[in-house]
Amino acid sequence: MSNKTFKIAVLIKQVPIPSKMRATKEGLMDRSVASMMNPYCKHALEAALELKDTIGEEKTEIWVISMGPPNFEQSLREALSMGADHAILLSDRKLAGSDTYATAKALGTLIQKLGVNFNIVFAGLQTIDGDTAHVGPQVAERLGIPHVSYVEKIDFKGDHVVVRRILEGGNITYKVPLPALLTITNTANKPRGPRLKYAIRAKNEEIKVYSVDDIGLTAEEVGSAGSPTLVYRVKNVTHDRPPCQFMEGETVEDKVNMLAEKLRELVEASKAEAVEA
Amino acid sequence: MSTNEKKQRNEEEYEIVDRSKQGVEGVFIWGQMMPNNEPHDVTFELLGEGRKIADKLNTKLTAVLIGYNVKKWAQELIYRGADRVIVVDHEKLKTFAVLPYTQVIYDIIQKEKPEVFLFGATTFGRELAPRVAARVHTGLSADCTMFDVGDYVNRRKKLKFENVLYMVRPSFGESKLATILCPLNFPQMASARPGIFIPLKRDETRKGEIIDFTPEFSEKDFVVDVLDVNVGGGEQIDLKGAKIIVSGGRGVGEKGFDMLREFVKVLREKGYKAELGASRGAVEAGYISSKHQVGQTGTTVRPDVYIAIGISGAIQHLAGMKESKYIIAINKDHEAPIFSVATFGIVGDYQDVVPIMIEKVRKGEMVFPVTQ
Repeated sequence: MSNKTFKIAVLIKQVPIPSKMRATKEGLMDRSVASMMNPYCKHALEAALELKDTIGEEKTEIWVISMGPPNFEQSLREALSMGADHAILLSDRKLAGSDTYATAKALGTLIQKLGVNFNIVFAGLQTIDGDTAHVGPQVAERLGIPHVSYVEKIDFKGDHVVVRRILEGGNITYKVPLPALLTITNTANKPRGPRLKYAIRAKNEEIKVYSVDDIGLTAEEVGSAGSPTLVYRVKNVTHDRPPCQFMEGETVEDKVNMLAEKLRELVEASKAEAVEA
Repeated sequence: MSTNEKKQRNEEEYEIVDRSKQGVEGVFIWGQMMPNNEPHDVTFELLGEGRKIADKLNTKLTAVLIGYNVKKWAQELIYRGADRVIVVDHEKLKTFAVLPYTQVIYDIIQKEKPEVFLFGATTFGRELAPRVAARVHTGLSADCTMFDVGDYVNRRKKLKFENVLYMVRPSFGESKLATILCPLNFPQMASARPGIFIPLKRDETRKGEIIDFTPEFSEKDFVVDVLDVNVGGGEQIDLKGAKIIVSGGRGVGEKGFDMLREFVKVLREKGYKAELGASRGAVEAGYISSKHQVGQTGTTVRPDVYIAIGISGAIQHLAGMKESKYIIAINKDHEAPIFSVATFGIVGDYQDVVPIMIEKVRKGEMVFPVTQ
């Protein structure tokens, strides 16, 4: 075992590239398309790396933890190339169809099973494919530790952190004892890119893969069977909005004139309607 | 016999499970208070939608009001649609903190056994609802934009569920609407996107019951301390009431916002109720105060005219403005997602476009389709 005393976990998810996002015929996210590390997870990882910089590289280790199909290795290796130390993937067909409740159960159980007493856990505020913001808080509940969502600033104070979370039109600052879980917003920091000095390790580091059996859960407790919610149906959004009309013209002035004309037509049409009514 | 007829006949033999008759009762909403000790708008929106759901289920609508010195709002929530208001008034609950609020709602759910529990998908609601759902071991559907009540047939278990809550949410990058059900667990929980549901008209003849509730706290509920709360103050911004919103993105820069302010000023001089909006990016870059922010973590707006200037159109921004009646987008990049929701688009540099627009408004050559 290492003598690194401060242990950080970062929950990472891989998501489809937005333009490739599509549903399978079962109404689930198609995970076979080109994908990338969820942008919010990058901010979570950056928060972890900044904390590592603050505390000192020799005292800190970062574990990146993910749940998903084998190709999620791509994002875990990317995290290693940015400076994470260990990568864990929970991967099993039995996990397919997990909702946020079942996902948090699996991830929480995995974290306990690892036997690493993490001082702090970071997660992205939300993923861009699910957009729920559920899994972070639900993992914290599983682990029985406090959490704060929407965190944009973290001050490390040894046995606690002082964090600022955004809210509509302002912010709140909390003092949070460790261990705790924080979900990080996309305005918290600017994620770094891969570092040359980690390139070899990122390529060679073994990614430890766990199955559902390995963490002591059964098929009934995870995946669709272990999920309280189900997707009943998925419909295309019908746009009652016609496609955008682009203003045309040789010069900017021409385009603005065309816009003024279009707006005038709308104003006159609504006046006419008012008269009829 | 056709396949459909067979299906129908099979279903007739299924055991019927009426979701509203399983020892659970009532539609509950979290009546969210803001740090200024006034309810968040979404509270009234949830009461409006909750009322509809409760009527469909033929049950009562209960609001849960948590905070300090909040009891004075209980009657107001009844005027806005609640049959019952459970008040949890405690000094230690003055500012939102997820652990004690989770415990309060958990205790209420254990005692009251609601059929449905709704939260606003605000930054507080999105922090609180998932923790509550995990504690009571039920499902949660996020950011819903539509609700209904209906049946659900589970062919594998040969069960037909009645009075199931349909929770509809945008998914796959807002391109699809998914209907989520939670047929086996209680309560059926969802968060509702702010600015979507319609509040009821305030009705002072509406009667209801106000109930005090004392939760059982333990020390571990208060391990997190609130150090500072910082909200707005100063200039009042009325994004929700504006008929025209002129909104700028990060790319506009500090100087650009001066130009946008001038635009708003000229619109106001012409008698339009205009307001200045901004994307999260612009707020974060420090160009403008967060009070102007439109989008999922800001204000959800639906003005008659939304003018998006140098806003690329992140999903979180679109979610907060795409219900606007007319959207005018000005952006250098003709592939910017903002154009996917725009009525009219101008591809170009805002520094060239906006001064001409301002001049035309000033001269009365550009008018806008706004309602009274």
